[in-house]
Amino acid sequence: MLVGIPLESKHSNAVVPKDCADEMSAYLALVGQARCKRSFAEVFNYFAPRLRSYALKQMGNEALAMELVQDTMSNVWQKSRLFNADKGAPSTWIFTIARNIRFDMLRKQRNRKEDICADDLWPILCEQTADVNEVALDDQVILQELGQLFDELPQKQRVVIEAIYIEGKSQQEVADQLSIPLGTVKSRTRLALQRLKEMLKDND
Amino acid sequence: MINFHPQLAHLRAFAEGTCPTNLALMISAHVDMCPRCQALTTQAQEELSAEVFAAPVDSVVVEQDFKDMMLQITQTADFEPARVQPVSNLLELDGRHFALPRALARYTRKTGNWSRLVGKLWQAPVDLGQEGQANFIYMEKGGRVPEHTHKGTEFTLVIDGQFSDGLADYDCGDFTIMDGSNKHMPFSEADEGCLVFTMVDKPLHFTSGLARLLNPFSQLFFK
Ligand SMILES: [Zn+2]
Repeated sequence: MLVGIPLESKHSNAVVPKDCADEMSAYLALVGQARCKRSFAEVFNYFAPRLRSYALKQMGNEALAMELVQDTMSNVWQKSRLFNADKGAPSTWIFTIARNIRFDMLRKQRNRKEDICADDLWPILCEQTADVNEVALDDQVILQELGQLFDELPQKQRVVIEAIYIEGKSQQEVADQLSIPLGTVKSRTRLALQRLKEMLKDND
Repeated sequence: MINFHPQLAHLRAFAEGTCPTNLALMISAHVDMCPRCQALTTQAQEELSAEVFAAPVDSVVVEQDFKDMMLQITQTADFEPARVQPVSNLLELDGRHFALPRALARYTRKTGNWSRLVGKLWQAPVDLGQEGQANFIYMEKGGRVPEHTHKGTEFTLVIDGQFSDGLADYDCGDFTIMDGSNKHMPFSEADEGCLVFTMVDKPLHFTSGLARLLNPFSQLFFK
C-alpha cells in the first residue's frame, strides 16, 4: 500500500533539525489529522537514520538500536496528534520520545522490580495534562462517531474516502488503484462528503 | 517561593534520561512544581535534540531495513484508544488532604500507613520498587527531627508548608540534597506544619545528646 511514497528523502545528510522544523511540523500535523503516509515517510526518512546513530551510541548493538528506532517512530506514527508545534520543534518531541523508550528498555534489561517508568518521569505522551486531555477525548469521540458514520456510507464511496483521508493518497492514485476514471473518484468523494455532512447534522 | 532547585548538571542529566532513577523521580516532582526548572528542562531538551540529530548520518547498509520498518509501522492499527485514568493525587493524614505533584500522584496508592514518631513527626513509607527508601514525613507545628548527619544521600522535596533546619528556611517546592558533609535539624514552625517527601539510601546518623540513642534503631525509621 506504500505505492508512490518516495523513500529517498530530499533531506539527506546535511540539513540540521532547526532548518526543517516548520516543514516537519506540517508533516506531523498531516499524519495526525489525516494518517497521511506520505507525510510520515518524510518524517521517517529524516529522523530514522539520525535516531539510529543516537540509538547505536546508547544501546551499543545494532538489534537494540533498531528496536529503539522502531518503537520511537511507531509512537510518532500513532501519537502524532499529541504533537503541538507551539510547545517545541519536532526534533525535540521525537528526541524526548526516544529518550523515554531508551529509559524503559534499559530498565527492562536490568530486570529488577523497579517500576518507575519513563511516563511517570517525563509525561510527554500521556494524555493526562488537562489541555491535551480534553482535546484527545474530544477527538476520540469525533473519531468514534466518524467511524460509525463511515460504515453507513455506500461501499464504493467509503473505499475512496478511506484511501484519501486515512491513507493519504491523491485522487489520481486512487483512480489508478481502483482502475476507475479520475472523474468518478472526484464525484464519489464529493457525494461521500456531502452525505457525511448530512449525517453529522442529523446526529446533532 | 522556591529557592532551592536541582543543580543544572542534574537537570541536564534528567533531560537526557541519564540520571539515577531515584533522583529523576525527585527532579520530576520538583519540575512539576517549579516553572523555572520546567523551562530549563525544556531548554535542555531542545539543546540535546539539536546535538543528537545534527550528528552526521551513516547512510549505508540499512536502507532495506528502514523500508520494511516504515511499512510495518504504517500498517499498525490506528490510534490506541486514549486511556485516561484519573489518578487521585490526594494524600490523607488524619483527615487532612495534601495534593501531590503529578510525578508522585501514583504513590497515594503505594503509601503504607502513617506511624507516629517521636517529636510530633509522622512517617509513611512509600514503596518505589527501588533500592533505598522513600517516605512522606509530616512535621506538625513545633515538630522536629533530632540533629543528624547522613551516611548516604538524603533527597528532600517540600510538598506542603514550610520548615527550617538551622541551615536555611524551606518553602513549598524546595528541593535539597544532603550528605555526610551536612549536619542539620529539620523543624517546622508553620501553623499548618510541613509535609516533605524524602529518599535516603542509608540511615541517618544522629549527632546530638539523647538522640544518639536512636542510632541503633535508625534504620527502622528515617530510612
Ligand atoms: Zn526549580
